[in-house]
Amino acid sequence: MQRRVLGLAIAVVTVAAAAGCGSSSGTGGASSAAGDKTTQVKVGIIPIVDVAPLYLGQQKGFFSSRGIDLKMETAQGGAAIIPGVVSGQFQFGFSNVTSLMIAQTKGVPIKSVVNGTASTGDTGKDISGVAVKEDSPIKSAKELAGKTVAVNTLQNIGDTTVREVVRKDGGDPSKVKFVEMPFDQMPAALDGGQVDAAWVGEPALTIAKGQGARVVASPFAETDPNLTIATYFASTKLAQENPDLVKKFTEAVTESLNYASEHPDEARQIVTTYTKIDGEVLKKLTLPTWPAEYDMASLEKLASLGEQDGIFGGQKPDLDALFS
Amino acid sequence: MSASGSTPVLTKPAGTATGPGGVGGGRVRRTLDRARTPLRGLAGLAGLVVLLEVLPHIGVVSADYLPPASEMGRALWQLLGEDAFWTALGDTLTGWGLGLAIAVVAGVVAGVVIGSAPVLRAVTASTIEFLRPIPSVALIPVAVLLYGTDLESKLLLVVYASFWQVLVQVLAGMQDVDPVAEDTARSYRMGSWGRVRYVLWPTALPYVMTGVRLAATVALVLTITAELVIGSPGLGNQLAVAQTSGAVPRVYALVLVTGLLGVAVNLVARAIERRALHWHQSMRREGQR
Repeated sequence: MQRRVLGLAIAVVTVAAAAGCGSSSGTGGASSAAGDKTTQVKVGIIPIVDVAPLYLGQQKGFFSSRGIDLKMETAQGGAAIIPGVVSGQFQFGFSNVTSLMIAQTKGVPIKSVVNGTASTGDTGKDISGVAVKEDSPIKSAKELAGKTVAVNTLQNIGDTTVREVVRKDGGDPSKVKFVEMPFDQMPAALDGGQVDAAWVGEPALTIAKGQGARVVASPFAETDPNLTIATYFASTKLAQENPDLVKKFTEAVTESLNYASEHPDEARQIVTTYTKIDGEVLKKLTLPTWPAEYDMASLEKLASLGEQDGIFGGQKPDLDALFS
Repeated sequence: MSASGSTPVLTKPAGTATGPGGVGGGRVRRTLDRARTPLRGLAGLAGLVVLLEVLPHIGVVSADYLPPASEMGRALWQLLGEDAFWTALGDTLTGWGLGLAIAVVAGVVAGVVIGSAPVLRAVTASTIEFLRPIPSVALIPVAVLLYGTDLESKLLLVVYASFWQVLVQVLAGMQDVDPVAEDTARSYRMGSWGRVRYVLWPTALPYVMTGVRLAATVALVLTITAELVIGSPGLGNQLAVAQTSGAVPRVYALVLVTGLLGVAVNLVARAIERRALHWHQSMRREGQR
């Protein structure tokens, strides 16, 4: 369902971009004020742990010192964020890199501007994992072949990396049956036996573990220990017309990422201001790493996995254009 | 949306409104019944609460996924003490109220215009039937493209969904005008304003009211949906945050709030309907029951 909504969103955006509408009204609000004046910048985000550096940076004044009045717009996913960024309602958005590649191959005019989050690289203690019930016979990734695995979005970063770990472990990735459901429903689905395994992200992963689930694979860390997972992006129009704003935003985010990496406790603390994650869960959950730079090798890996699984509709994402 | 039972139907005025039970004994029983109805409603609710409390305790469902009613109540109590909750409630009610108002005004105006000209009615009929069933939710990407996550995108969805409810009812009402009354008005040489005021409006009003009542509920559903999916500020957004955070009792507490809001909306809509249509047969009968 989510994929269909995303697909529809991308279709609408493509049509609008091709027709040249939607962008006319967009840049008016934010980008015109380039001088000493404060510019309001809206960022479309998902209220998850990954965007903690942004809130931390806002609190520490990394954005206001550059004349950016940061405003977070929380959405449920790419279906709302990507059209918002393309039409100029948001200046920037947060998205996983596979979604960005899909959007690019469909002709959506967007461009990643600064890194977002990366895998911890620590197998068994990553920000996502394939969880099974305590008493499940599944012991390793290759045994997922022939089993039902839940992912939050089909044909995206979840199933491509899960297939990769199955492949690496010597299993047949084409035999894995994927079903789509939101992360927060996965612990219950595992417990009720609706799925054999679930690719779960934080905080649902910690919640599932607390209820006795066992992690049999860490697709991100096992695909590439330095895997770049999500980045902040802008429309190509904004990138061309207001490079100054993009530069300032990039600098502010970089400073925020560095600060969050150095002060993980503060990052964990700021999560309480924009989520309702239970205190005990928050203490235990795994934070992502927040490197300031992309890892191009890992992005190439993700792109080739996506091509292998045919999620780009036969096209090849242009990584240099997307992440330069 | 089983409102068909309550759709006011205009029957020709006859002595049947009083019904056969005009004797004293019947009246006493009716008064008792009247007192019992809300009590029965509350009993149903209490039964639900007990069921919600018992089910997790006896292990039919895990308390991790369906917390017992007492825990939901605690989360609800905590919620009521938060400023953010009241702001969200205000945002939701603003979106609902504005959306409903726009839809009702637009629906009534469009309905009267279309309904009074047979040509227009013929031309628009298929278009209306085509547009009406399109789920408002399908417009989310368009709404975000046009308005981002602001109030406007919420309004677009709410107005789109509730407009048709009103329009269709108004059109039905306009068609229901008694030809005898119409002819009578013409014989008395009433002007077009008089005909609208004394013939058309009283006929259409019960339909309009039904439309408004249906639209009020639909508008609430769409307001929450828009907040949930788009992320515009409001109860739906709070619900989404609680969901992604895995805060299960809070999710249910918010669901309870939206349910109560639905009950309140329906009660208010019914009260307004009863006042506006106190003269109407359906209401007179209901009042005497």
